[in-house]
Amino acid sequence: MNVLIPFSWIKDYVKTDASVKDVAEALSMHALSVERIIDDDVLEIEVTPNRGDALSVLGISRELMAVLPANGFTAEWIKEEVQSKKFSGKDKLDVRIDDPSLVPRFSAIVLDNVKIKSSPDWVKERLDKVGIRSINNVVDVTNYCMVELGQPMHAFDYDKITDHKMIVRSSEKGEVITTLDSVKRTLPEGVIVIEDGSGRLIDLCGIMGGENTEVTAETKKVLLFVQMYDPVKIRKSSMSLGHRTQAALRFEKGVDFEGIIPSLRVAVKMLEDFTGGDVSSELIDIKNFHYPEKKIKIDYERINRVAGIEIGKDFVNSSLSSLGFIIKDGEAIVPSWRYGDIEIVEDLAEEVIRIYGYQNLPSLIPSGALPHSTIEKKFLVEEKAKDFLKYNGFFECYNYSMTPKNLAGPGPLKIKNPLSGDFAFLRSSLIPKLLDILNKNKGYSDKVGVFELGPVFLAKNGDLPDQPFMLAMATRGVEYLELKGYVEALLDDLGVVTDFAFEIVDQGNGILSCEMCFDEISSMAGGIKGYSPLTTFNSIKEDITLLVDGNVPFKKIEEVVKGADARVKRVCFKDMFKDALTLSIEFLDRDKQITSEDTSGIREEIVKRLGSLYGIKLKV
Amino acid sequence: MKLDIDKLRAEAEKELRDAGVHEKLSAWYSKFLGKKGIVRNFLASISDLSPEEKKEMGKKINLLKSDLEKLYSDAFSLVSSIKKDSQITEFYKTLPGKRPEVGHLHLITQAIREIDAVFARLGFVRVRYPEVDWDYFAFEALNMPKAHPARDEWETFFVDLPEDPKMGKVVVTPHTSSGQVREMLKAELPIRMLNISRCGRRQIDLNHVPTFYQFEGLVIDRGISISHLKGVLEYLIHNFFGKDTKFRLRPYDFRFTEPSFEVDVTCGLCGGKGCRFCKGGWVELGGAGMVHPNVLKAGGIDPEVYSGFAFGWGVERVLMMRSGIKIDDIRLLFENNMKFLEQF
Repeated sequence: MNVLIPFSWIKDYVKTDASVKDVAEALSMHALSVERIIDDDVLEIEVTPNRGDALSVLGISRELMAVLPANGFTAEWIKEEVQSKKFSGKDKLDVRIDDPSLVPRFSAIVLDNVKIKSSPDWVKERLDKVGIRSINNVVDVTNYCMVELGQPMHAFDYDKITDHKMIVRSSEKGEVITTLDSVKRTLPEGVIVIEDGSGRLIDLCGIMGGENTEVTAETKKVLLFVQMYDPVKIRKSSMSLGHRTQAALRFEKGVDFEGIIPSLRVAVKMLEDFTGGDVSSELIDIKNFHYPEKKIKIDYERINRVAGIEIGKDFVNSSLSSLGFIIKDGEAIVPSWRYGDIEIVEDLAEEVIRIYGYQNLPSLIPSGALPHSTIEKKFLVEEKAKDFLKYNGFFECYNYSMTPKNLAGPGPLKIKNPLSGDFAFLRSSLIPKLLDILNKNKGYSDKVGVFELGPVFLAKNGDLPDQPFMLAMATRGVEYLELKGYVEALLDDLGVVTDFAFEIVDQGNGILSCEMCFDEISSMAGGIKGYSPLTTFNSIKEDITLLVDGNVPFKKIEEVVKGADARVKRVCFKDMFKDALTLSIEFLDRDKQITSEDTSGIREEIVKRLGSLYGIKLKV
Repeated sequence: MKLDIDKLRAEAEKELRDAGVHEKLSAWYSKFLGKKGIVRNFLASISDLSPEEKKEMGKKINLLKSDLEKLYSDAFSLVSSIKKDSQITEFYKTLPGKRPEVGHLHLITQAIREIDAVFARLGFVRVRYPEVDWDYFAFEALNMPKAHPARDEWETFFVDLPEDPKMGKVVVTPHTSSGQVREMLKAELPIRMLNISRCGRRQIDLNHVPTFYQFEGLVIDRGISISHLKGVLEYLIHNFFGKDTKFRLRPYDFRFTEPSFEVDVTCGLCGGKGCRFCKGGWVELGGAGMVHPNVLKAGGIDPEVYSGFAFGWGVERVLMMRSGIKIDDIRLLFENNMKFLEQF
């Protein structure tokens, strides 16, 4: 989440010789990314989810105390704490908390004789800089403190709380509350809410207050409310309600449990100053959770190992101290505001090394032992196949894995939460999309071929789907035997020496397609090609034309021709006209020069065998 | 003067055969048929002869003359046509060659090859892990337990299949990091893995597509440090984007690395001066970090002995960021318009 923090506001806390640009640079390099600087003053900072503590002027100022000196600038903490004093008064609040885990810490205080009016100009200006509209002096104080201290707060009109009674509990499904923005919200189960003495809901805790107890111009008594809530509950509630307020975004990242009372004191002081009111109750402070001191042993050696260079002990200690850690007996005590974020020595290493500066580390190439694994054959075969197809005129396509149902192939798996109907299924075949591409590119060329090499998704009982890589090709204006020839030549080029079955499908309108499991092809590829010794004798090539009836496939005829004599070196299909099949036969005798007398003898044997086996005759 | 017409004819014919080119042809013409040529001289020389002889010789000379004229004009047109043919031949050579029909490899394939080549030189071994995977590998094993807010960052697709009691839901993996623990579980150390796989996220706009490619580097060995991460990234960046490209690591937060970084490179459009496409001269390349001890443990590796780094970036993203190829809408990569594909 991005947060707006004015440099001019930071100066309440830190005195420095750095300019706003220096501050932005130092923060980006050592802590948090400054996305931009608005009007030469306001830093827009991207705060990562683990750094909820940095969503405030106070939090950024703390960081600067560590990162400015690391970049060679001065930094002096000049903010004085508000003196703690004992509050007292006759006003009471009857608090009942059903489930203590909902509210680890609950604090509140009442102020009487408040005069609601507009805030001082400097408060309005500061709020305006961070994009918050001024409402009145009371509401503004709660917002101001949230930006400055990172602690969201709420102010109720004390007199509107029936019986001055609060029950903190989880909502039941269907309960209704109208929030300060006048929106009537129907709640799901499990949202943290507050019920007053009349049984109505008065607060959508951590997200937004109820309209029924709002501070208005007539308000005389204010109940200031400063809490810490279960972050997971706040996040879930705020997301399910679709209401992501600044307060919720902070609560769900966790607030500083030690910051609650100091924040309350700052707010009370401001309320007294701006409204003329006085505290009229004791301080209510309910701690439902104990946070034991968190200590991590500083493993200096480990920190060096993470960095790859020697970082001195002194630097480690001083950088951790500058970030608020207390170093004692070789251990680092985690500051309360980093309680949820820092857990292991690697976390300490990150803190130290980022202050040291990643730019100050060397760049090295890993050395060490040889990796055991070697490249899988499939990657090499895939790239080879792609090249083959490219150089034979095919265009490579990439399609989304998710498709509409009509383009997904047979029996596709469904996406539970698709973007839209266009992405609702996982493809089980690559063909439909390729046909769609040919259709969409109709005007491109009369003769065109496309291919895709990618995974499909096939349901498998009780396991992840099978995800084989398929090779699919689709053509327009290409003859059947031509596409078959591309596939055969490809398989040949990849070294698939055994028969690999594939099917060319006529899709109509001159479009053909072929889809093969490429994982199978890969596993068969790279077969050893046979070598026959070269001979100095010449071969003789002759054509032979046969009359076929279509009952015997070419393969069988070829086998017979080849088997007729050892001197038949090669049989090629040459031409087919009506029922006349012309073969080109190459004859070679490895022991002596073959003659036309020899070949005519072999031809006779071929014709004899074809005739007796299949009734195929020579065309005369 | 002896008038030997036959000899003259033979001589003229021979010289004409040898002439061949235009310049010599006209010299031949002047010599034999010109105003002061041999044939005219012959004609002039017979004026002294008797009328009988004159008549006969005149006839012969005129025949010779017309024959030579004919020979000349034939030779002239032959030479002219040869010259024209050779000009056509020269022109023919200026015509474009007849090319074989060559198709096109997709830009993503080209980018993957380049990336693979750079890492192969550093000894990284290419692998690929399933696009549809268990929640366990996509999140849980990566130090992101169920209901962790960090999961929201990944707009994950869920496949309509029953949940496995141990492995959880079936998801379209939102990142190549789900290959990290799978690679570790092969139990072959040290690891230098380059995982280039398809991923999916619930996003589609100018900069996002629901299916995309990431490449993930993972190195695990004894004594692997941030300095090694920096070295490998620098090698990649200099080889892929060019030697003048600078880069920087910024602190960031990912659950599966500690420390974590965002990696920025100088903007290819403005060269690092700062423009409206970048942030003060820098553009974000992607995330990186030192593998979190919990992730090593999930992969059965002892974090007290071994350490490692990882990074996972978008193939399309680094491709688009490289100066030279400026594609304003990433969806074009998956539209398969042939007028687009033919450009690469």
